[in-house]
Amino acid sequence: MALSTTLSLHGAGAGTLFGAELRQLGHDYFGVFKRPRKQIFCSCWNGSPFPYRNCLWRVPSVNNFHLKSMESSPLFAVGGEAEDGFLSNMNDETDDMYDELFKKYGNVVFKSNDQKPPSAEIDDDSESLSFAVSMAKVASDVKAADIRVLFVKPLVYWTRFFIIATAFSRPQIDAIGSRIRDLAEKKYGRSPSGDVKPNSWTLLDFGDVVIHIFLPQQRAFYNLEEFYGNATPVELPFENQRPF
Amino acid sequence: MIQPQTLLNVADNSGARELMCIRIIGASNRRYAHIGDVIVAVIKKAVPNTPLERSEVIRAVIVRTCKELKRENGMIIRYDDNAAVVIDQEGNPKGTRIFGAIARELRQLNFTKIISLAPEVL
Repeated sequence: MALSTTLSLHGAGAGTLFGAELRQLGHDYFGVFKRPRKQIFCSCWNGSPFPYRNCLWRVPSVNNFHLKSMESSPLFAVGGEAEDGFLSNMNDETDDMYDELFKKYGNVVFKSNDQKPPSAEIDDDSESLSFAVSMAKVASDVKAADIRVLFVKPLVYWTRFFIIATAFSRPQIDAIGSRIRDLAEKKYGRSPSGDVKPNSWTLLDFGDVVIHIFLPQQRAFYNLEEFYGNATPVELPFENQRPF
Repeated sequence: MIQPQTLLNVADNSGARELMCIRIIGASNRRYAHIGDVIVAVIKKAVPNTPLERSEVIRAVIVRTCKELKRENGMIIRYDDNAAVVIDQEGNPKGTRIFGAIARELRQLNFTKIISLAPEVL
């Protein structure tokens, strides 16, 4: 029983780093003790998402969304952090267990090549943050209102920062969009994909930073802030015009 | 493999329930549409008292297909149903939330708006 806890825990937690390792260890361990494999699957289906998904789809950190549960509960982007409370209870027990397993089988396990060391990850994050903040600054120069910068990396794997801003007319959206494009091109040498023409919801996609410029009506309609309510807001260094 | 007359589920809260593909947008004589393609569809079933009504002609993006989607790394994704998201002429989704898992290929096809409303991206 203790074993099954380990596996389901790994699925629930933000332990993407150990995903591959544990999978390997799990196999070895079960192989040695001749446990039926069925048990792995059952334990993982109960309550927490099953760990194999991590490895199969390579979806780091957004793995706790069941299709069925989603239909009944209100929609939110839910990240790995949400289940911290559950994790903390079991931490001591599982740490011991990991230590034991590592001692027994050693640390040699296969890893995917695209993983970066944590330090490089932090560097990338800070680079994206500075880019996002300078983009938000440009938007505020062109009188965009209610600018929010959200750190969404814990919630979605496909980007790091969201910038959400309101503009009051299409010409203003055009102005904000072109200023942002110019600065990104000149200072950072990056060019966005996404909308070219001004749209009621204009989206500029820089890869790690995604900029949404809305008309006030559309902003209320789509309500992205509520959907990404669990994301950490980033403090902006300049005066932000509040909504009226 | 979506072709004219195919029935699709709707993966958003726009108010439509079921669509029927009537045309694939892109080439003049294209046979099948896949994930990320825009189709012209007619609403066959709709939720009462919503902006969209039965027999209305709309545009939609295909987000899930029963036909497998292959990636370069050998991964294959196959869904249980055919589903689409209703969009307007500008490419903005008509609904405010997307249901179910969708593929990241949509981002390369400039449907990042759909991706950013989706609860799970594969």
